[in-house]
Amino acid sequence: MSKKKQAAGTNLLYQLIAEARTYDDVIVMGRGDPDFDTPAHIVEAAKHAMIHHQDDVAPPAGLPALREAIAARVKRVNNIDIDPASEVVVTNGGQEALFLMVLAALGEGDELIVPEPNYNTYADSLAFAGGVKVAVQTAHEADFRADPAVVRAAITEKTRALLLVSPNNPAANVISPADMRALVDIAIQHDLMILADDIYDLFVYDDFVHTSPASLPGGKERSLTLNALSKAYSMTGWRLGWVVGPADLMARVAELKAAISGGTSIISQHAGIAALTGPQDAVDMMAAAYARRRRLVLDALDEMGMQYGVPQGGQFVFANIAFTGMDSAEVAQRILSEQHVLAYPGSAFSKERKDYLRMTFLQPEEQLIEGLRRMKLAMASL
Amino acid sequence: MASQTKTKILARHAANAALNIPLPGISMRGAHDLGADEPFYPLDEQIIAGAVEALESGQTHYVDVPGIAPLREAIAKHLNAACGTSWQSANILVTAGMQEARFLTIQIIGAQYDQIGVPTVAHPGVQKALGVRRRQVVSLSVETEQGCLPSLDEIAATLKKGCRLFYLESPSRLSGAAYTQNQVARIADMLAQHDAAAIWDQGLARWVDEGCSSLAALAEGSTAAIGEAWHGIGLGSWLVGSIAAPTDWIAPMQSQKQIMAICTSTASQYAALAASEIFGETHQQRLGQMRGQRAAALAMASELGLDLVPGAANNLLALHADASARGRLAEAGIDFAAGEDFGACDIVRLNIGAATVTAIEALG
Ligand SMILES: Cc1ncc(COP(=O)(O)O)c(C=O)c1O
Repeated sequence: MSKKKQAAGTNLLYQLIAEARTYDDVIVMGRGDPDFDTPAHIVEAAKHAMIHHQDDVAPPAGLPALREAIAARVKRVNNIDIDPASEVVVTNGGQEALFLMVLAALGEGDELIVPEPNYNTYADSLAFAGGVKVAVQTAHEADFRADPAVVRAAITEKTRALLLVSPNNPAANVISPADMRALVDIAIQHDLMILADDIYDLFVYDDFVHTSPASLPGGKERSLTLNALSKAYSMTGWRLGWVVGPADLMARVAELKAAISGGTSIISQHAGIAALTGPQDAVDMMAAAYARRRRLVLDALDEMGMQYGVPQGGQFVFANIAFTGMDSAEVAQRILSEQHVLAYPGSAFSKERKDYLRMTFLQPEEQLIEGLRRMKLAMASL
Repeated sequence: MASQTKTKILARHAANAALNIPLPGISMRGAHDLGADEPFYPLDEQIIAGAVEALESGQTHYVDVPGIAPLREAIAKHLNAACGTSWQSANILVTAGMQEARFLTIQIIGAQYDQIGVPTVAHPGVQKALGVRRRQVVSLSVETEQGCLPSLDEIAATLKKGCRLFYLESPSRLSGAAYTQNQVARIADMLAQHDAAAIWDQGLARWVDEGCSSLAALAEGSTAAIGEAWHGIGLGSWLVGSIAAPTDWIAPMQSQKQIMAICTSTASQYAALAASEIFGETHQQRLGQMRGQRAAALAMASELGLDLVPGAANNLLALHADASARGRLAEAGIDFAAGEDFGACDIVRLNIGAATVTAIEALG
């Protein structure tokens, strides 16, 4: 047993982050915050807006020009047809988009099917809404694929929606086009809404392909889809995201947005326009860097003899540490205290994942190599 | 085929009338927009420099959920100086604007109480925040002659009914009326006797001549004080607000903030930090200017025999205005905030600015 009082979930993560800050030489492979700073032309656009758009006021749903840029983006990247005037709501990051989607679609007692492991804020938001999570477990041996047949079997009379986060955090799997088709068909047959989280859609590896459920026939009218600039443009601090979906549901999302925060920073919105309509080479550069780093991490995990679901997309690897015979919270704690490397314990994502660690590849290659070297030492000493 | 699930979702939302109430604009869009929550002023160069410097030095990443440390400290310092409180940084949660502060306090502190007492007249954001997840609301009637604030007797009666949490604005977001120092002291006494608590919106306090008393000064352990950071400095559309509260309230609100936003925009926070350094002096100048403009508007209103709602904050005024008077305002191209969105019929709220006298003339 570790000496510290054991926190759980997000609090456990914050406890580890706080400890990590006390080490000068810490290597952070925990938080999903890209190491790259926001591309300079986006910062420039923000500066320009501070001087020349001071009296801009956006409605709660966002600046019209930004909504147009978002509609063009989801058409180009996700093949979803969106009316910028009535089918886009700009949000304080993907996180607020997520909260709004959950609140819009689910009420007291409604069930949401959640392939697990998954981003834990969904469970927290669902709890706020009074909804019920129905977990569908997936396995690293199958690269965390959610089998549509298993999803179908989890549906009850109270099921209202299906959560599809692809590429996933932390599992890093990408839902294949065939599985996505099958899942959308299930949603249609059982009259379920789809909550789609495309936040990692620009980071897909090897031959994997990202598919948005709303791009498939019958998908759009029952899907709310979120995205954000945080991960793709390295803009986590700007808090800019969005939800798109059919106009009738989006009117509700817009009302909820007004009730929760009233608006989104005008400066971030102008920065967002620049990100979406300006040069995209920084995104390509970052995607290529993540692909190289992913290889480094997987090679190191192979050397350590660790099992994992192959990250098909995203910015993480979720590795199995069952061979240590220890709880992931304790393993993460020891790696941090002994080697000053921060990785996130699987138990922070779900109680079923006590024998997993989540590692990011969001740091420069030299640091990543050093982090992996230290991690090897730590794992050998367990 | 129509989706029954979707029909049910839409019906659930449609039944929730609070969510349909429109919010005033966050910040004035031009001289004739007198309906927004904040006046418009061009940003001081120092504020822009603060934001730019932060962005250019790589402050483009996630920051701490409750806000960047120097801003929390600056907010605590300002509140303590203005209200006589003794908040520390740990008592401050930076929010993405005033509405997020309303939402977090109402929903999270509200969840610790069976009921929440809310005046029938308040900023429309209050009803909206309540509407997201229904709380049991006890309505406090207000007196128009008192600037639409609930009387102390009404607060006492509501305490007697068993209500232990109140949402109060001082100054009122509709009229600018504020409780006097004596009244605040009595409210503090009544709450203490019943072990009751309050969410206290004091965002407009600095627009009152001689300042305005904060409940937090007398009941720091049971008050959550909320407001913009900083109202009228020009950062309205950048959305920075704050909650000052006992740490055992900050903790659950911080968890909820993580769930719904992770943190507040870094550019906005660094801008607010830079603004904190010039706020005092800039505000004094603006207050002086507003005071003059408001006096002129009041003189015109009395000349025309218009019926004013008493108020003390210099940034706005509220008047009785029937449909035809409103029609004339609209004809004159002037935007105003409609009292019914706040819960008060036949009242309009006008910001103080260059066009306020024109608006008054149109009403007369
Ligand atoms: C799957 C997923 N959705 C949403 C978010 C929220 O991202 P942000 O609010 O930073 O845009 C995250 C952040 O880690 C995530 O992993």
